[in-house]
Amino acid sequence: MAARALFRWALLPSPKRLAPPLLRTPRSRLTLAPIEAFSSSTSTTNSATNYLRLTDEELMALCDIDTFKASGPGGQHRNKRESAVRLKHRPTGIVAQAAEDRSQHKNRASALARLRKLLALEVRKVIDLNDYTPPTELLQILPAKSTIRGSDVGPQIGPNNPKFALGMQALLDLIYAVEGSVSEAAKILGLSTGALSRLILSDDSLRMSVNGLRTSKGMRPLK
Amino acid sequence: MILRLPFAIRSALPSPSLPLHRRPIRSPPASALSSLPPRPRQEIPLFLRPLAHSAARSDLDAFRRWAKSLALTAAPGIAAAADGGPDADHLIRELSWLVQDATSEPEVGDEVRLRVGLEELYRLWRERIEKRRPFQYLVGCEHWRDLVLVVREGVLIPRPETELLVDMVAEVEGFQEGLWADMGTGSGAIAVGIGRLLGVRGKVFATDLSPDAVEVARFNVERYGLKDKVEIREGPWFEPLQDVKGKLAGLVSNPPYIPSSHISGLQAEVGWHEPRLALDGGKDGTDYLLHLCEGSASALKPGGFFAFETNGDKQSEFIADFISTMWGNFFENVETVLDFAGIKRFVTGVRR
Ligand SMILES: C[S@@+](CC[C@H](N)C(=O)[O-])C[C@H]1O[C@@H](n2cnc3c(N)ncnc32)[C@H](O)[C@@H]1O
Repeated sequence: MAARALFRWALLPSPKRLAPPLLRTPRSRLTLAPIEAFSSSTSTTNSATNYLRLTDEELMALCDIDTFKASGPGGQHRNKRESAVRLKHRPTGIVAQAAEDRSQHKNRASALARLRKLLALEVRKVIDLNDYTPPTELLQILPAKSTIRGSDVGPQIGPNNPKFALGMQALLDLIYAVEGSVSEAAKILGLSTGALSRLILSDDSLRMSVNGLRTSKGMRPLK
Repeated sequence: MILRLPFAIRSALPSPSLPLHRRPIRSPPASALSSLPPRPRQEIPLFLRPLAHSAARSDLDAFRRWAKSLALTAAPGIAAAADGGPDADHLIRELSWLVQDATSEPEVGDEVRLRVGLEELYRLWRERIEKRRPFQYLVGCEHWRDLVLVVREGVLIPRPETELLVDMVAEVEGFQEGLWADMGTGSGAIAVGIGRLLGVRGKVFATDLSPDAVEVARFNVERYGLKDKVEIREGPWFEPLQDVKGKLAGLVSNPPYIPSSHISGLQAEVGWHEPRLALDGGKDGTDYLLHLCEGSASALKPGGFFAFETNGDKQSEFIADFISTMWGNFFENVETVLDFAGIKRFVTGVRR
């Protein structure tokens, strides 16, 4: 029955032991390892290397979700808003929660959006600069004046758009690859250093992540 | 959060009175009542009232401190009643929602504008604690899915579990253009949830026996601008649906399912204040569920979908088994579906 599929995540399936295809970076202490190191012998789904490309449902299926505890019978028996939602992404251990809204529905959506952002910030992919083409998601968050951005890419996606996370993740992959050098990353992206700095500064968490890296490399933070 | 109302609040209200309160089924102990002044009729849900009052910020802060200490003092007694009532943390969260609904966006300065007088806030909070009056009836609304639904005494406060029924409908292929029915619609929650997802040809019939429910559901439907999508009909279960018999793409319901013998032991907020008509499902709690399953055979068109909420694991299994054995030639794919707490909360199936 079709309705079933939607609730699969609510069943809390036991974690399939996927070898994490990507590295989780604890803040600025980044350990880079060649991507081959993560090719999994146990899993065929390894090609799905990017959690951010998963649908909400697929991503939920990788999470443990704590909502209201199964205390008592619930339903019509009970009047209690326990709307806080806490998601724990099993493969990386990243936790995102939301409790600010009265509705569980909205808290779930905010927790998921938050999780996507944290995944973008904390899961790094190693890229080979000798053979690098920026992915479409990255091109989409660049300003139109970028010389490598074709007109077919569409309008620029800003930080408030849910699709921004994917672009931000790819941008961070690049900035880590060039070890925090904004000018070098700008060159690769066909932008002036100033224009790329402005893009980085347009989102608080992106700025903090880049500055964390720069500080750890002894560079000045962007302001 | 910001809710953009589809039309002006004032025009949505036929008169300044949503006539209020049937008497609660069972009254709280007299001791709790005696100290309270009589409650004036609530006219408009708190969050929809104009900011016609004001108070010094320090006075609002004093209210908060008082209300918090009242909650902390009452919490052990509520816990001792062991009826599943709120703990102190929960009450304090409700307090912040009460203030949220009574004020506007964070205001600077020493004066705070309010939607009710400060004395009224004191009175409301006293009712919350001393009479165990549900928070949602104090403020006149419940946040449910992405909706803010108006509720009042006489109408069941929609539960978070029930939110999933709307998701199940949205999973049905082609649901947007079908005819749906939400039987026992109460505040109209499920019907409004579905109505918002429908296409041009889709429609929901929302039925209820209770005139209070019909009135509140109508209000919510209008507030969300769904008069063309959701048609409210008064009457028992299938009776108002005779003209669409055999044409329905789907039927959903959260019928009363609590066994009669459990009613007296319910959480005070529920047992003392919510309508028994919305809760009591007969001896085993299955009277209406069975009636709905049986009626679905003739109400649904071939391939039509049904989803009913139940009291949980045992009841869901019982209903699913019963349908498969007794009416197996009418329905297929009969199964139980879990809620967020992992309880088998729903039974779904398809008319052959
Ligand atoms: C548990 S409440 C559900 C309300 C709403 N659908 C919700 O989920 O919040 C059950 C509803 O069924 C209605 N009801 C009870 N007996 C009924 C009957 N014989 N015919 C139609 N509706 C009935 C009650 O008035 C109540 O609104």
